[in-house]
Amino acid sequence: MAPMPDLPRRRLCHVSEVNEGQARGFGRPGAAQDDLFLLRRNGQVHAYLNACPHLAGAPLPWRKDAYLSPEGSAIVCGAHGARFDPTTGLCFQGPCLGEQLRRADIMIDEKGNVFY
Amino acid sequence: MKIVGLDTLIFGVEDLAIAGQFFRDYGAIEAPIEGGLRFEALDGTGVEFYPADDARLPAAPVAGCQLRKTVMGVSCAEDLEAIRAEVSKDREVRSVADQSIECMDNSGFLLGFQPTIRKAFHLPSEQANAPGAASTRQVNRLGVDANQTIAPRTLSHIVYFVPDVAAAEEFYVRRLGFRCTDRFEQVGPFLQPMGTLDHHTHFLIGAPPHMQGVEHFAFHFGGPTDVMLNGSRFVEKGYQPFWGPGRHLFGSNWFWYFNSPFGCHVEMDADMDLHDASWRHRTVQLSADTSQAFLTRVREKWSPGPGTPKHGAYA
Ligand code: FES
Ligand SMILES: [Fe+2]
Repeated sequence: MAPMPDLPRRRLCHVSEVNEGQARGFGRPGAAQDDLFLLRRNGQVHAYLNACPHLAGAPLPWRKDAYLSPEGSAIVCGAHGARFDPTTGLCFQGPCLGEQLRRADIMIDEKGNVFY
Repeated sequence: MKIVGLDTLIFGVEDLAIAGQFFRDYGAIEAPIEGGLRFEALDGTGVEFYPADDARLPAAPVAGCQLRKTVMGVSCAEDLEAIRAEVSKDREVRSVADQSIECMDNSGFLLGFQPTIRKAFHLPSEQANAPGAASTRQVNRLGVDANQTIAPRTLSHIVYFVPDVAAAEEFYVRRLGFRCTDRFEQVGPFLQPMGTLDHHTHFLIGAPPHMQGVEHFAFHFGGPTDVMLNGSRFVEKGYQPFWGPGRHLFGSNWFWYFNSPFGCHVEMDADMDLHDASWRHRTVQLSADTSQAFLTRVREKWSPGPGTPKHGAYA
């Protein structure tokens, strides 16, 4: 079990709010792009920073929370179409081939709350 | 060989419903077609989407590129024959329909040519009042209406990632009669075909072969206010801005780029420079300073006064 988060962390959501095959982005209110996103693939929750390795810091989704391909098998960059394995973050097609999305340092407490 | 510009961009997509939602929200006008979706600007130019596995679609130039064909309009049937005569010297030119031909460019992008589908329409440009200026907006005519209907006016330009810029450029310039209007050193040229004065309908960017594809495409809007207002509405609907709003130096066009589900950016632009044959192209190194006169970024609307948060809205 992950340790209780330090205070400055902020609660994102409950793990049950991230459904299989879906993604959710989180950011500061009013910001032009989310900081990170969560997705669930084969039951497992993964968290990555919303920053495409192709162009430093470029936002991935084409619309709020639209990080995944329609059938959910890849994270797709809405800038130039780079495709990443949702479970490893590895780019398998596109401009940043072979590069990796950075995992976001989230914590999940015993009640299932997700903190960042 | 009067190519007037882009008529239609044809894409193969994973999800038609998503493509439809995107362009409805972008403000384009839906025009029914069989087996796919078509969205148009006011002059009838536009984009078409079909399921990626539709057997009628041409193949993608490389895996991952959703653009299947770039159709350009020419001014008349004689132009079509001139293109056929020139291009068939070293490659296959197919007739695909009455008065419509297609061939590959030097990078593997499939091009179509047809007498242009552009319809004439008449709407004023964005009018500005300025001290000292002879032409102003009509008295009592308002500059902005928060609820105004905004539609793209015409398909403006496409930007390709190409593995060999010199080879790619050679085909457009030597074979199709395009002119280079400006150039970013070590990146590529802005290209203008003979049938338009627009600064560019094409821009080529050199990139490794695995990146071949589309960087973005854009529609022209009626002016900076249309771009800002339409872009703001797009943001409010949840779409992800990438770059802008701002104003480019080459072409002087106002720009706002958005991410899209099409593997490329989609831009809204306005007020691009016009150039004729007397224009001599400039060459500069691409940088933040040379690519834009200014850049702004999105933030949530706020106003000073009652309701301003304690620490201000500047945080
Ligand atoms: S910024 Fe993500 S593919 Fe180019
Ligand atoms: Fe552009």
